[in-house]
Amino acid sequence: MKARYGMAIDLDRCTGCGACMVACASENNVPRLPKATERTGITPMLVHPVSDGKTGVAFIPMPCMQCEDETPCVKVCPQQAVELDRATGIVMQMPQRCLGCRYCMTACPYHSRYFNWWDPAWPAGMERTLNPGVAVRMRGVVEKCNMCHARLHAAEDKAAEAGKRQIEAADYVPACVESCPTGAIRFGDLNDGASEVAKASRTPEAFRLLARLGTEPKIYYTSKRAWVRALAERHPAGEPSQPAAPVAAGGGEVKHG
Amino acid sequence: MIPTRRDLFAWGGGLAGGMLFTPVPWKVLDDVSIWSQNWPWIPQPARGPVEEKLSSCTLCPNACGMRVRMAAGSPVGLSGMAGHPVSRGALCPLGFGAHQLNWHPSRLRNPLHRGRKTSWEEATAAFRKALGEGPIAIIDGRTGRAASTVLERFAAAHGATYAAARTAEEKALGPYQRWTGVPTSSLGYDLENARTIVSFGAPLLDGWATPGRFTRLWSERAAGSSNPALRLIQVEPVQSRTAAFAWRWVNVRMGSESALASALARVLMEERLVTARGPMPSESVNELAGKTGLAAETIQSLARALVERGPVVAISAGDNPSVAALNVVLGAVGARGGILRRGGGTKSPVPVEALSGRMRAVLIDSTVPWEVRPNVDAEVFRFAAWHGGTTTADWLLPAPGFLEALTDVPTPPASAIETYAVATPLMAAEGSKDAARFLAEIDPAAGSLEDAIKARCEAIYHAGKGGLIGPEPQPVKGLASADKLYEALGNGAVWTGEAGTPGGLRCDLKEWPGPSAMESPAGWTDGWTAPVLPPLAAKLYRESDLRQAPARSDV
Amino acid sequence: MTSAATGVVMADRRLQVRGEARSSTARFALWLAPWVLLLALGIYAGGLCLYYGLNQTNMNNRFAFGLWIFLDLGIIALGAGAFFTGFLVYILGRTELKPVLNSAVVLGFICYSGAMAVLMIDVGQPLRAWFTFWHPNVHSMLTEVTFCITCYLLVLTLEYIPVVLRNRQLRKLPPFVVFEHRMHLLMPVLAGIGTLLSFFHQGSLGGLYGVLRGRPFAFRQGFAIWPSTFFLFILSAVAVGPSFLMLVTAAARKLTGRKLVPSNVFPRLGFISGVLLAAYVALKAVDTLIWLNVTSPAVGFAPWEYYAYKPFGTTLLFAEIVVFGLLPAVLLVQGRWLLPGAALACCGILLNRFVLTVQTLALPTLSFDPFLSYTPSWQEVASFGGVVAYGVILYSLSYRYLPLFPQSKEQTHVSGR
Repeated sequence: MKARYGMAIDLDRCTGCGACMVACASENNVPRLPKATERTGITPMLVHPVSDGKTGVAFIPMPCMQCEDETPCVKVCPQQAVELDRATGIVMQMPQRCLGCRYCMTACPYHSRYFNWWDPAWPAGMERTLNPGVAVRMRGVVEKCNMCHARLHAAEDKAAEAGKRQIEAADYVPACVESCPTGAIRFGDLNDGASEVAKASRTPEAFRLLARLGTEPKIYYTSKRAWVRALAERHPAGEPSQPAAPVAAGGGEVKHG
Repeated sequence: MIPTRRDLFAWGGGLAGGMLFTPVPWKVLDDVSIWSQNWPWIPQPARGPVEEKLSSCTLCPNACGMRVRMAAGSPVGLSGMAGHPVSRGALCPLGFGAHQLNWHPSRLRNPLHRGRKTSWEEATAAFRKALGEGPIAIIDGRTGRAASTVLERFAAAHGATYAAARTAEEKALGPYQRWTGVPTSSLGYDLENARTIVSFGAPLLDGWATPGRFTRLWSERAAGSSNPALRLIQVEPVQSRTAAFAWRWVNVRMGSESALASALARVLMEERLVTARGPMPSESVNELAGKTGLAAETIQSLARALVERGPVVAISAGDNPSVAALNVVLGAVGARGGILRRGGGTKSPVPVEALSGRMRAVLIDSTVPWEVRPNVDAEVFRFAAWHGGTTTADWLLPAPGFLEALTDVPTPPASAIETYAVATPLMAAEGSKDAARFLAEIDPAAGSLEDAIKARCEAIYHAGKGGLIGPEPQPVKGLASADKLYEALGNGAVWTGEAGTPGGLRCDLKEWPGPSAMESPAGWTDGWTAPVLPPLAAKLYRESDLRQAPARSDV
Repeated sequence: MTSAATGVVMADRRLQVRGEARSSTARFALWLAPWVLLLALGIYAGGLCLYYGLNQTNMNNRFAFGLWIFLDLGIIALGAGAFFTGFLVYILGRTELKPVLNSAVVLGFICYSGAMAVLMIDVGQPLRAWFTFWHPNVHSMLTEVTFCITCYLLVLTLEYIPVVLRNRQLRKLPPFVVFEHRMHLLMPVLAGIGTLLSFFHQGSLGGLYGVLRGRPFAFRQGFAIWPSTFFLFILSAVAVGPSFLMLVTAAARKLTGRKLVPSNVFPRLGFISGVLLAAYVALKAVDTLIWLNVTSPAVGFAPWEYYAYKPFGTTLLFAEIVVFGLLPAVLLVQGRWLLPGAALACCGILLNRFVLTVQTLALPTLSFDPFLSYTPSWQEVASFGGVVAYGVILYSLSYRYLPLFPQSKEQTHVSGR
């Protein structure tokens, strides 16, 4: 049976601690390079702080949105270095085939793709801590979140050893999902109607970012706060939303949450 | 026949065309594609069997249970230990990158004397000399460990002062120790049974105590709900992450937390919202309200909200007697859902802040945060696994890094339940030595870590309480011997004692405490003992807008 | 004078176009010197990017395309004069344009080879560039671009060869004369292939952005698999190609002080350019209206927001369509202000390519995205300067040694010198 792996991220639970970002980088052998900035660093999982301009604060963890339809990056790659795996719904990046033209990065509306501006490097000896399941990417290629595909492989191997066709859901959990201290990131098969993600994706609190573009992302977000749900789209009618980090608010007010 | 120019062109063309039908160009293309994917300078992960070990994080006192994935003899990934009674399967954001710390460029590999390379022999000789001349002090960063026993025993045998640095969470429990005589290491918050928590700047959702404990609780009982089962009220002058996600955020003036706690206590007593009677704050609610920048009515409604759903407990960011006194008024001390006395814990040593004047030498254990500098004029012997930049220490002595040495992990601060775990070395520590071994070499009578840990196992085994969590969960009573307990702990099991029970704590306030200086709330980095952060923390500080870079070096 | 210098002068004299006055060797060397320096700097800068990687540029994950792509698109559009002149001469039989044909071919060759050189620096792994031919994704506009540009560069090279073979010294070799003659017979075929290839890659370059569903500022509806920008790019490229040819020829005329082409060529080029530009402006206006009113709102993007960030105001849109579109079209058709008109038209196409490449990336997509800016690094500017220098040098050498303007001899008497 085909799976469609997706996530449902509860934005009312995400406190923006950043554990997912570090766990992701560790799992995927992402280097920390001294010159990298927020515009050149590689953060396959990236948490965006947002605010409603008053006292409302939210953090939006953004992995690759795993677009299902008209997948922008898959469509534009000239040499099939990106493909949508129909068996899992995962948009796979193959850095070995990438020539680094970065067309996919301009195509992605979510900025979920990252270019290796430098050769990966670790302080002497630290390469011993690299995860053996994931190959290191060289400079000049694009990479992104592939839902910890190595973990899926490991789960499939485990199932095959046990003579089973299907993997155990508990055996395949991406690093960010595993690391979340509040359980805000839920992961599973959207095709399985009984799964937690599938259920969450059907609630009225669920939304997807820029869904009107028609790319059918498989990362859902949920929030009980209307202003957070409104972040899904740009607003043709109102002022453009402005990004803001949490800041000190003046005055002696009590906020009713 | 002499070839003409035309022939040369013809042959050249023929050769080029013919080459296309040989494997040469295709093999070259194939090789290019392989080379361009495997440049020799790109590091590749070592191959080897992957195994998973259970252990505990030792980078701060908060004792998170960890799963360590090991490949080819090195840790290649960390994750939380599900089912851990306190950390509940979570790690802090820094913890996920901790396995790379041992190869941090700032790693101390050699003993240094005032910046110059020296040897262990010279350091030992210098310390022996200082010991002979006296007086000296030994500073511990995490009490209650086997190593603490060694340090304390050595200090006692040689007339040295045994002092300790405390975390913000331990400091916050200070007033109760002063009022009840129960050491802070035997006190904990019964958060799991509280229904209202009022935090005076404590970063409950962002680096307070064992990270998984409150975040998981909040996630289960409060997150996203306008009428949560657990009400979190955050008193803080800035909109921190905790304030942003609290049920209510009370935005007070900087440094007026004591005033608000006093005002709340006064309202509670004046309006007879509580049964407690005792000394009252001398200032009126209006005077106190003026200090906080809040309207008196706001404070009154807040006081009513506090008692609307008990049990309620107040938590401060640091040592704040007014907040502690508020807990007394609220009846939270020694009560379910409040502050409990639990098993374990040791007598609190002299706080490092109390040291002053001239001493011959001070020895600082590697568990003491780098920033902590005793206010004494002495020759400083500092143990550390990493060089944290500027230092006043005369001797820098390389301590074992992360998961490089045997250490035990006692109950984390603020926990309501007693735990005990052991972190065994998963990697070799070359050329390093911890303070306990250093002192035991000078005076073997101080004892060894192994013996101290075994002694603790004996004690737990003979008490026969609690049980093991981990690979093979079972009650202590089911174990054949204390050695079996030692063995199980070495394999990553965590011993969990009984939860603290109400009662046994009595606070009689003689007078309402005066205002205390606000301590800035601690965060993830403040409890972190290593003076450096994991390289991947840069993802949070430099490669995203998620967090402000901490003052501490992140290289 | 040393013997080596004498040798150079002699060789220079021997290679020059027969029967035409050329400046002295020293003067020519003086003219080339700064360009050679710029080329050297460009090669150094490009070398830095290849050796150390693209961290030498100021591009980043959000501004993944920068100065290079903008200028590549720009010069490829300007180089469209090559295929379009060939098309006019060989396919439509407008022989009156033959005097500028060689010049057009050289210009085209320069633009395309220069763009290819920059693209090879611009990709992160140039050694893997051939993967596109090996594992082509037929749905990608970039595959179409890569195939067509590579093939067309080959065609341009084939078209350039006969011009090179007409050098005075090379003509002394009989096989070359025969070869050149044969090639000449092929020219109409090459012109046809070139037109087809150019048609597609000029279009695909437009399609490159038009298909970006994720970037509503660039995304356009279209016909079958081609977004409207596909057709607009073709039209705008063929419209300004002749204008650019005219500008370069006029510059060469100014520098050499010779008339170079018959006097009826410029008005003819101008008229063609003007009419096509007018058609382009009309269609671009219609396309803009459809995009602003239908395409963009349908995906939740308010069109006014695109112009809410300085310096990308509505003035820019007005400038693109009216000042650099309608105005030059009128000037070129009416024929009195040919060169200013041509210059405006060329600026207009550069502005169009700039807006599509740079503004697209600068504008936010997510509701919490900031508006971004980017300034190219010196390495980016210098490597492009190197391409310009390469063009000037190649054009100068071609002018000096090859019959770039075959009818120039008949025009000599017009000039003062």
